[in-house]
Amino acid sequence: MALVQLESWMALAPTLLLALSALALFVIDSIDPDTTNRPLLAGTATVGSLASLAVAVWFITTGVGDPARRGELALFGDQLIVDQMALFFMVIVAVVTALISIASYDYLRGHVYQSEYYSLVLLAATGMSTMATANSLVTVFIALELASLPSYALVSILKDNRGSVEAGLKYFLIGALSSAIFVYGISLVYGATGHLQLEAVAENVGAEGFDGLLGVGVLMVIGGVAYKTASVPFHFWAPEAYEGAPAPIAAFLSSASKAAGFVIAFRIFTTAFPLEAMTEIGFDWTMAFVVLAIVTMTVGNFAAATQENVKRMLAYSSVGHAGYALIGLAGLAVDGGQIVLAAAMMHLFVYGFMNTGAFLFVAMAEYWGVGRTFEDYNGLSSQAPVACGALAVFMFSLAGVPPFGGFFSKYFLFTGILETASGNPWLLAVAAALVINSALSLYYYARLVKAVWFEDPVAGRGQLTQPTGLYVAVVLAGVMTVLVLPGFGPVADAAYAAASALGP
Amino acid sequence: MATAFELAPAIAALPLAAFVVVLLVGDSMPKKGAFAGIIATAGSLVLSLWALATVAGGEVYNQELYEWAAGEEIAFHFGILIDPLSALMLVIVSLVALLVHVFSLGYMNEEGETGLPRYYAELGLFTFSMLAFVYADNLLMAFMFFELVGLCSYLLIGFWFRTPSASSAAKKAFLVTRFGDYFFLIGVVGIAATFGTLSFAGESSFVVAAEEAISGGETLFGFGAETWVTILGLLVLGGVIGKSAQFPLHTWLPDAMEGPTTVSALIHAATMVAAGVYLVARMYGFYALSPTALAIIAFVGGFTALFAASMGVVKDDIKQVLAYSTISQYGYMMLGLGVGGYVAGVFHLMNHAFFKALLFLGAGAVIILMHHEQDMWKMGGLKDQAPVAYYTFLAGALALAGIVPFSGFWSKDEVLYDALILGLEEPIFLIAYAMGLIAVFFTGFYTFRMVFLTFHGEPRSEAARDPHPIGAAVKLPLIVLGVLAVVAGIVNLAPIAKLTGAEIVFLEHWLDGEYGAVEGLTYHEYHELMGHETSYIGSETLTMLLGAALSLGLAFAGAGLAWTLYNVPEPKEHTRRLGRAREVLGNNYYQDEYQVWLARDLTLPFSRTADRFDQSVIDGVVNGVSSVSLFGSGRMKRLQTGVVTNYAALLVLGFLALLVIFGINGGWFV
Repeated sequence: MALVQLESWMALAPTLLLALSALALFVIDSIDPDTTNRPLLAGTATVGSLASLAVAVWFITTGVGDPARRGELALFGDQLIVDQMALFFMVIVAVVTALISIASYDYLRGHVYQSEYYSLVLLAATGMSTMATANSLVTVFIALELASLPSYALVSILKDNRGSVEAGLKYFLIGALSSAIFVYGISLVYGATGHLQLEAVAENVGAEGFDGLLGVGVLMVIGGVAYKTASVPFHFWAPEAYEGAPAPIAAFLSSASKAAGFVIAFRIFTTAFPLEAMTEIGFDWTMAFVVLAIVTMTVGNFAAATQENVKRMLAYSSVGHAGYALIGLAGLAVDGGQIVLAAAMMHLFVYGFMNTGAFLFVAMAEYWGVGRTFEDYNGLSSQAPVACGALAVFMFSLAGVPPFGGFFSKYFLFTGILETASGNPWLLAVAAALVINSALSLYYYARLVKAVWFEDPVAGRGQLTQPTGLYVAVVLAGVMTVLVLPGFGPVADAAYAAASALGP
Repeated sequence: MATAFELAPAIAALPLAAFVVVLLVGDSMPKKGAFAGIIATAGSLVLSLWALATVAGGEVYNQELYEWAAGEEIAFHFGILIDPLSALMLVIVSLVALLVHVFSLGYMNEEGETGLPRYYAELGLFTFSMLAFVYADNLLMAFMFFELVGLCSYLLIGFWFRTPSASSAAKKAFLVTRFGDYFFLIGVVGIAATFGTLSFAGESSFVVAAEEAISGGETLFGFGAETWVTILGLLVLGGVIGKSAQFPLHTWLPDAMEGPTTVSALIHAATMVAAGVYLVARMYGFYALSPTALAIIAFVGGFTALFAASMGVVKDDIKQVLAYSTISQYGYMMLGLGVGGYVAGVFHLMNHAFFKALLFLGAGAVIILMHHEQDMWKMGGLKDQAPVAYYTFLAGALALAGIVPFSGFWSKDEVLYDALILGLEEPIFLIAYAMGLIAVFFTGFYTFRMVFLTFHGEPRSEAARDPHPIGAAVKLPLIVLGVLAVVAGIVNLAPIAKLTGAEIVFLEHWLDGEYGAVEGLTYHEYHELMGHETSYIGSETLTMLLGAALSLGLAFAGAGLAWTLYNVPEPKEHTRRLGRAREVLGNNYYQDEYQVWLARDLTLPFSRTADRFDQSVIDGVVNGVSSVSLFGSGRMKRLQTGVVTNYAALLVLGFLALLVIFGINGGWFV
């Protein structure tokens, strides 16, 4: 029951609002160059992302993108599509952007390039939001670059910090290499099928007879996706970039950017490369994702286990979680597997809160200047109990301990994969890897909780201030990680609806 | 206008609200929160009476309220079942709770106890849990609140936790009942797994499912359906035996007397201990399917009745006598239920709740009078000093001893009558009957030994010569309960009904659904399920008269013996004449000793061995895994060299590896 009939391009409103606030920030910066009016800048970014969030949620509740209600909206000759999955990921991107905008209010105190920072964040968010809607290999690539280029700048925005600059450069180089592989893969797919729009690609799989060419192309596309989601072996940039970047940016990249990488993966592989046709030409890509999922989980978690630097531990943990989400694609089958795909979406949703929260806690620690290693965090709870309580929630949720959100999404992944394992015995290996890696992850997550809550405080640490923005963001993320538990019904429903609308 | 049933959740919610309020602001409330508890329990009583009246009007309530977990095959929910049985029990529990709250004003507040908000908060929590247990509509909800009343019992026994004996008694009560509840839990899981439902009543109840399984001759988990039902029933019975202090898990109840006497009256006499017996009555249809389980219930009950009564004979502490008497009386109820006397068991449960609460509160009054002295040998002569306490206590004692026409006589007689007529058909039950019958003699003896030592004769101590006065808050509950102890038997005068043919067996009609009941939960339906045959000596009336005369004669004999031995100005410790027997009885048949032996010399070494296995083998494996993992982790970290050209090389190599594997596999290069 809409009061006004909206134009169909308005379905992109969540994305457009992000772009609009980026432009608003440019205007502010051109009126008052080098402004350090933090409330105005952070406020504009927060309001813009919250507006984007509100519109996306409103669309979901009113049935935009639901085939049974208002239908999926294909725009610009099917180059973009607004369906339930697009809206679901728009929500994730907007939530994470809002959280880090709030947190950056304090983090950027005394920082030089403030309006640039926020407008780059919003431009990257615009790119990620567009990735959620991209329905052609070209728009996918453009959106991906739109998300990536501001990210390179953001990672190295601390220009006087060697680590930040070095990380940005490494990120850029690996990114360039990966993008080259990705775009080359796209060209091979185009060569083999003659199309770029995803449905059209699907119709022409195997039609022209260039099966080997298409196989190589698809594998290269997987490479591009693996880069964006920080999956092995395209993950090398992640630990460096996250460690060198300002912590809110690390949160942004590891949560929103990763989710955006997954949305293009989900869309490309469910729409453009149907399993049935691909199996016929000799490339069952679920096997590639089985391998990637197992290797990514294992490398991420094992490398995280003995890290001394908290941010680096979180970076590797983020690689590990990419492995969990990859299960969503590994578990797809010709006639099913939507449960696993939906579980992966839920995991990314919950991850958007708990991982962002964890990185924002690190941002707070950087703000306090307490240090970077586990030992430096010892006994923080005596000085900042609320934030440390939230940290414990994030850690246990990341490890998948009930009753937090992370437990449920991981549980659904596990049961889903077991259900589909009858068709593909390799999935049992994935399930086993999931269990082993989760058990290992509890070790290093609990280590941080132990350091913060049970170790004696570091002697000589000064009084810790309470940065409002960071506190609000961390507590908000913590509350949401807990509230996801009673609210899991709607989230799960939305994810199931999105996954089953895709269909393999 | 809301109906009684719509307000039913408030019956339990009111005491819960009192708990929360008193817990938060009890310290600044008048009387430290006593009034909040009184108002809440009074509200519960009014609503319970209303619910009772509505049930009498022919309506019942069986409603699922909130489903908190749902799977594909089973869902767990909270719900309310109000039928004749639970409505009756709701009234009993809320009435006794109200009276105990009032009594506490005199017993706790005026005696200047500290920690009163904690006391009233815990009483509120207990009342909430007990009421919710009573009208639970499924076994899992019942189990949850069963555990919660156990927790409250632990907290309240340990109210004076600074006294070592109180905290140790609290722990003992908790552990011993937990031992029984462990089996109960397995039983709950077993029932859920077997029948896929835990509801007590209705078409989809586990009782109906079990009945169908038996009549269909199904095989469940490798057992015949009836055997499996018996196993499940006995597992649940574990919880019953622990909670209702039946042999061999009765040892915690005497120690539980370390708690305040008001707590003993409410929790360890009238209500919580009744939860076990009530549970058997609640799922009686299930037990009715298994003659074996019923027989075990009957024998556990009969044996406990006699066994505990014999120990009550030699106790010197007034509360200890009452504690053993409580165990013994619950034995009677179990005996009644076990021989098919559903009405008799519930009848005795009701009467006992009144007269035993009365006796405990009377003992509380005596303890106030005696300046906190509990040894009966230091009392004496209180009869003239405190007439209200004396006459009400006497009423309770007459009911307990089973003297006609006090309430206890009618119900105990009915229990024994049901046992007798079943025993005449199946002689094995005559043994259970005989144990119950002999216990009558002991009951009469220890009850009046207690009365005479406490109230008659000459005062034997300074305190007894100059008793502390008792107030109205103490007297009022005694009078209410005293009246009930005298007249409560009216609700089911079965013997008179049989003699005169008058329709005065109200309770039987009540439980048989004459006024309204949930289908399947009525006396005659249970009877049909059991299919017990009974027979009589001569005629039914003659059997009844013979049985009544026998038990009444034994009660008088016991009371009379106590009269001759102890109703003298200067009574002597005649129990010394029992010699060895006294030692055995005084040590409670060494029950505690053998249980301690079981724990210390059997379980502990076994646990040590298990621990050693755990420490060496299990931990060894775990530690091995973790060191392998950490070693692997060190290797993984080395992948990240920090040199970007290495990354690019590894990235491309990794990609090429994938390309080669999938390319050759897919035949892309041919």
